[in-house]
Amino acid sequence: MIPDKINPRLPGGFNLPPFGVHQILALIIVCISLWAVGTLWLGMQAASQWVGSWQDDIHIHVYIDGEKSDITKSLEQELASIAQVSSVRRISQEEAARWMQEWLTGGGLEQHELVKRLPVTFELSLTDEKSEFLFADIRDTARRFGAQINEDEVNLAQVHDLLSQVSYLAWFASLILAIAMALIISNTLRMTLLARADEIHLMRLLGAKEWFVRTPFILEGMLLGAGAGVLAWLLLWPVVLGVGGWMATMQVDLNAWVLLLPLLFGGGIVGTLGAVIATARVVSRETSV
Amino acid sequence: MLMYCLSAASVGIQSFCLHVVTFTGFEVTVFRMSSEQPLIHMQRLMLRYPTGKTALSGLTLDIEQGQFVYLVGESGAGKSSLLKMLYGGVRPSSGLLVTQQIDMRDASESRIRDIRRRTGIIFQDHKLLFSRCVFENVALPLRVQGWKTERLIPRVRKVLQYVGLEDRLWSYPEALSGGEQQRVAIARAMTANPAVILADEPTGNLDVETARSVLDYLMDLNKQGTTVIMATHDLHLLKSHPGRVVQLHAGSLAGDYSEY
Ligand SMILES: Nc1ncnc2c1ncn2[C@@H]1O[C@H](COP(=O)(O)OP(=O)(O)OP(=O)(O)O)[C@@H](O)[C@H]1O
Ligand SMILES: [Mg+2]
Repeated sequence: MIPDKINPRLPGGFNLPPFGVHQILALIIVCISLWAVGTLWLGMQAASQWVGSWQDDIHIHVYIDGEKSDITKSLEQELASIAQVSSVRRISQEEAARWMQEWLTGGGLEQHELVKRLPVTFELSLTDEKSEFLFADIRDTARRFGAQINEDEVNLAQVHDLLSQVSYLAWFASLILAIAMALIISNTLRMTLLARADEIHLMRLLGAKEWFVRTPFILEGMLLGAGAGVLAWLLLWPVVLGVGGWMATMQVDLNAWVLLLPLLFGGGIVGTLGAVIATARVVSRETSV
Repeated sequence: MLMYCLSAASVGIQSFCLHVVTFTGFEVTVFRMSSEQPLIHMQRLMLRYPTGKTALSGLTLDIEQGQFVYLVGESGAGKSSLLKMLYGGVRPSSGLLVTQQIDMRDASESRIRDIRRRTGIIFQDHKLLFSRCVFENVALPLRVQGWKTERLIPRVRKVLQYVGLEDRLWSYPEALSGGEQQRVAIARAMTANPAVILADEPTGNLDVETARSVLDYLMDLNKQGTTVIMATHDLHLLKSHPGRVVQLHAGSLAGDYSEY
């Protein structure tokens, strides 16, 4: 009955508005933003895996002059009594010197000289380096005995703190980008809405329900966002494959699959949000008959 | 007490007269009207736009089901404003307006929607969608009411057949002449089989012959029971197509002739 070449596209309901150049532009922009967000989180993933890979066997070293053996003894006891310290190993000056000489091969250092100058070292193994006052406790204990703690190691052990701060930043950046994307989508939809103002007005005059008028635009926003999300996810693969070899040397195994659903739904939600913003302002204005 | 009786009696006489007028003025269709309530009832109706302009005032008028009513009056008399109120485009500022048993002053949005679904509107600028073909334009009122596309086609075909445009189903409005566009607008107003058709100068920019044929369609619909209210400046149409004439002047009722 309907000629082949004609495809009745009635407005309203679940019919999508036509997809034009504005929509494609919005799709690309949103896709790039989502890709940036995806890359950011891939980076976070890599960072936390990398930190995790060496954080397990981190040790804190405490140094003390080896002259007074009673003080070193009680320091050792005090350190061992800190709750999150699992074990304290005493490294003698001889061992330290040997180790050092291995390290600085053929430095021409005199073993005895070295032994005399080196302090006694305690190597602390930690059960939970995330514990809040652990490092302050160790530092205080060490100070009371005139010993020193290796602050560089403390900083490394506390990298997870830094990492969680960075992840707040990542969330913040994602949120800002999400708002920007929602506004871009809402702006695109507003152009469509303006172009179709007559149609919308007419549908209302004919007694259309509000959902009937707005659904096509909300659907379009949702599809735009979700489509951009999937596209952005696909574009993450070149990144993953490109840096994969380099990452493997750092014992990092990037997993892009976990980002598929967040990007898909994130895009969808952002798109829907943009559409809701755009359609919220489509009030029924009554022009002349 | 006596005063009360007197005034009650005079009200009775008034409404009696009104009925006589309508009975004589209109044929059998009036008898089909079961309820006492007219299709459209206005009492001291007043409309003031937000700009402060009073477009209509003190309008008391009843329109029975099945009537063919011409709204006449100078430009700015308030014809369009009255029609707009009848489909809920603007709300009355004061007074009473009851359309199809619904009080328009405090009707909810969904009541207004119901009214609009039972009202066919022909706009002066016919408001056809130029980016959509004739089929889509005419099908719109039914689509809005949730009809499926397959069901729409026979109905739209039939309606277009009625206005003699069934071969233009897939044309676009810009490929039609002004008169043909007006006929598409009529077709769209009648697709949903409305109880009332509101027409705002449907013959506005048509030549006499085309205007007559547009009127023929509206009269024919009216014969089938549709109430037609039409604003017009073309007084010459009244000779060939008689009907009730309601004359507005500067927003108030200036005359009501049951038969011109
Ligand atoms: N939306 C509006 N806001 C403010 N004033 C309005 C509005 N629409 C109409 N008016 C005023 O109300 C009065 C009645 O206007 P209306 O359009 O009803 O006249 P009309 O009888 O249809 O005239 P015409 O024959 O020229 O179409 C006019 O003075 C007009 O300026
Ligand atoms: Mg007018």
